[in-house]
Amino acid sequence: MRRKNSASDPLWYRDAIIYELPVKSFYDANQDGIGDFAGLIEKLDYVAELGVTCVWLLPFFPSPLKDDGYDISDYRNVHPSYGSLDDFKQFLHAAHERGLEVVIELVVNHTSDQHEWFKKARAAAPGSPERKYYVWSDTDQKYLGARIIFLDSERSNWTWDATAQEYYWHRFFQHQPDLNYDNPAVLAEVEQVMDFWLELGVDGFRLDAVPYLVEREGTSCENLPETHAILKAIRGYVDAKWPNRMLLAEANQWPADVRAYFGAGDECHMAYHFPLMPRIFMGVHLEDRTPIVDIMRQTPEIPEVCQWALFLRNHDELTLEMVTDEERDYMYLAYSADPQARLNLGIRRRLAPLMGNHRRRIELINSLLFSFPGTPIIYYGDEIGMGDNTYLGDRNGVRTPMQWSGDRNAGFSRADPARLYSPIIMDPVYGYQAVNVEAQVRETSSLLHWMKNLIHLRRLFKAFSRGTLEFLDPVNRKVLAYIRRYEEDVILCVANLSRSVQPVQLDLAALAGYTPVEMLGYTDFPVIGREPYFLTLGPYDFYWFELQRRGD
Amino acid sequence: MTSTGSSSSAEATKPAATTAELAVAIASYNDVDTIGDVAAAVRSGLEEASDGTASLGGASIVESRILLADGGSNDGTPQRAREALGPASASLMEVTYPRAAGDLLDVPYHGRPARARALRAILEGAHTLGVKACVVIDGGIRTVAPGWIPALAGPVLEGGFDYVSPFYARHPYEGALTKGIVYPLFRALYGVRLRQPAVGEFGGSARLVEAYLDADVWDLDSAQIGIDLWLAAGAAAGGFKLCEAPLGRRTFHTRGEALDLGTTLVQVVGTLFADLEGRVDVWQRVRGSVPVPLIGDPPAVVLETPQVNVEGLIESFRLGYRELRDIWTWTMPPKSIVDLRRLLDVPPQRFRLDDDLWARIVYDFALGYRLRVLPRDHLLRSLTPLYLGWLASMILQVRDVPPEGADARIEQLALAFEAEKPYLVSRWRWPERFRT
Repeated sequence: MRRKNSASDPLWYRDAIIYELPVKSFYDANQDGIGDFAGLIEKLDYVAELGVTCVWLLPFFPSPLKDDGYDISDYRNVHPSYGSLDDFKQFLHAAHERGLEVVIELVVNHTSDQHEWFKKARAAAPGSPERKYYVWSDTDQKYLGARIIFLDSERSNWTWDATAQEYYWHRFFQHQPDLNYDNPAVLAEVEQVMDFWLELGVDGFRLDAVPYLVEREGTSCENLPETHAILKAIRGYVDAKWPNRMLLAEANQWPADVRAYFGAGDECHMAYHFPLMPRIFMGVHLEDRTPIVDIMRQTPEIPEVCQWALFLRNHDELTLEMVTDEERDYMYLAYSADPQARLNLGIRRRLAPLMGNHRRRIELINSLLFSFPGTPIIYYGDEIGMGDNTYLGDRNGVRTPMQWSGDRNAGFSRADPARLYSPIIMDPVYGYQAVNVEAQVRETSSLLHWMKNLIHLRRLFKAFSRGTLEFLDPVNRKVLAYIRRYEEDVILCVANLSRSVQPVQLDLAALAGYTPVEMLGYTDFPVIGREPYFLTLGPYDFYWFELQRRGD
Repeated sequence: MTSTGSSSSAEATKPAATTAELAVAIASYNDVDTIGDVAAAVRSGLEEASDGTASLGGASIVESRILLADGGSNDGTPQRAREALGPASASLMEVTYPRAAGDLLDVPYHGRPARARALRAILEGAHTLGVKACVVIDGGIRTVAPGWIPALAGPVLEGGFDYVSPFYARHPYEGALTKGIVYPLFRALYGVRLRQPAVGEFGGSARLVEAYLDADVWDLDSAQIGIDLWLAAGAAAGGFKLCEAPLGRRTFHTRGEALDLGTTLVQVVGTLFADLEGRVDVWQRVRGSVPVPLIGDPPAVVLETPQVNVEGLIESFRLGYRELRDIWTWTMPPKSIVDLRRLLDVPPQRFRLDDDLWARIVYDFALGYRLRVLPRDHLLRSLTPLYLGWLASMILQVRDVPPEGADARIEQLALAFEAEKPYLVSRWRWPERFRT
């Protein structure tokens, strides 16, 4: 059963608010120390009450778990630690019953080296159909123009396989061999995998690592026309057979390059806006709107049926690939003075620690997330201000158990603490006894309640999800002001990026006659006239105004 | 579950036209005392409409069908209907719908079990016939007149209206729940001055019927109780063209025991509140209200003055204050409770519950319902003494004024609901919980 929204509205993803979560981290129902689908079902009411409309599940498939599940060894099943396929079906039904869409991962660039396809490939003869599922070479000097992504752990994109007596290609870890999309049989396999999950009723796929599908000599092996052709084929297949299902591209590229992943509305429905996220952080730290406005002005128009996916934090490091060297230096100095927090080209921290646990800064940065053009994604635990543990290695420090209460194991599991898949956050500031759902449900001024209110408010206005964006240009650069318009709705957003009170004069002459109604309190402000509109904003204040034309 | 057919089945008992311009549907359940008069009135109304005796605003009906949706009467209601229709029974189409064993245990305020399923079957039948207009009449009404049919169908067929709501003549003391909560709340929310949105009769256009059938509401639990209110809200919030038709008096025979006030409040007000969540993007955009045109001349009626024990109402309020104040603190701000406290000591003649306070109380309860600050049933039942206090206050203000003065007083109340609507919007958007 699919919920009516995604079943009937082909653009449902444009109005969605997505909640990203790893099954293993959310709730452990069978008390083995690892979160599972049964636990997730128990906590679905929490997710629904938060006001989000869509759940994005991180990989939950059988896997050796050398890359937290992005190394898949069986595309058609559930990792036994998380439950069974029946458990997943029950979860899917329960989510749809609550009006939640479900998006799952489709990791199509590579598999685990434990996948049957790879086992057969390395054992098969060179040139055989089985061998051709992956990319092989007798030299590691091909495709030298391709950068190495995981600089901290890999020295080459080729690894020698003693069984096959050839090198195999991998853009990520060496245990993740890349599939060979020059072989049509691979695409056919992927289509069958999609059929399997779409038949069950999932509403969309996050397509992991899509820029790297195809390799060509003399190129960076990223964003190649052949890769786009594969994605168009996937989209065509889905549209023809499974209408209204959504494809979200993970393409960590500059906006102009990401634009290609939308095609003419015939490739991916959504793609992440990677460069925006670090510049929001930069703008807040610099107390200057310039980085944010610049990147948004560089953002190309996308087809009407497409949408940007916006996020502040996710399961990976705060990636700084899509910034200049100078900007990266600034971000490291500003947000990761402790080198322990750095990983690859990024910062492995959660939102609250990045904001210094400053409540008003957290609110401000979320207000930007929820008022910029795109579909916002909330990373589990950020709605309560969870912290991280940068000593856990790789990106595990931002994947710790959800903090449900002040009980043992943060209420996440009744297992012995030693059995937990990850230590609970226990420091005095972000520890589970200080930061947990139970306390924040009871405390009406909590971040959790604030987030719920903001989410519900955003859902009221399609101008946020579908509207145009127009920046204003006040003299005071500590203030970011912009207008969102959709059909009859006109919304004015004003944010003070600084820690001190700021005045601002906005040129709103074109909107003379409108009455700004502050959305949160539904409070009328003075009618806009021809003169500059004067506002004063407290530290990290933001206003959302619904501009009403009275007497209509 | 016992079933006499699928929810979508609509079958003719006798050969008749498979298409029609107008369908008049009677929803019945154990109405043998009234169904004959209702059926006869429908028959006459259609005859007058087709031969031009009755005004349809210039339209004439070529083909019409009568639909009967009976909820499994055991008193011979369907047979009585067929007898009363006489030759017209040839065009009768009996629509069937699933019934459940629990239907009779959970009877809604209008006394008709499984009414939502009955209405769905009626609308599906009308849609199948391809009608331009569909009129629905309750089989338990004692006062149906032939003129009701053209009054409810004419504005659709000729006036281009989508939803025709009856406007029944009521004494100022009658229909107090509608006047005190349903009408002003409905008007403030959806911006239309539809005065009786919870009644069981209406006329609807083909496009409205289609929109109703396409809605994702029919299987909801709340629909079984409050489907009539939901249909009116759907028409008002959906941008359809609304009007009212004056039909005179509406009296009906009681099916079983009448519901107590608390249960009625739970059902009627609960339906309105439940509907708020799903239409939030509509009602939070609406400012002010527009009148709904009254199409037709009101029949002359004589209204009897019901006996009301105002002192008893006030005493119920005071008792409620003492017993339920603690519950009210979950959803009402301290200021409102202090204002109510002042009413405990005033003499009955000076007992007045201000309109703005009453509007805020209703809005507070709407928000408490949304936030589930208490079990919803308990919360709504605790509204009963407050409502009785409002009723006492209103009666004291209108008992010595002419009917038009009473109408003006309700208009004043409705304006207060509109004026206080920002209070609801702001609290809805940024809820303040008074207790945790």
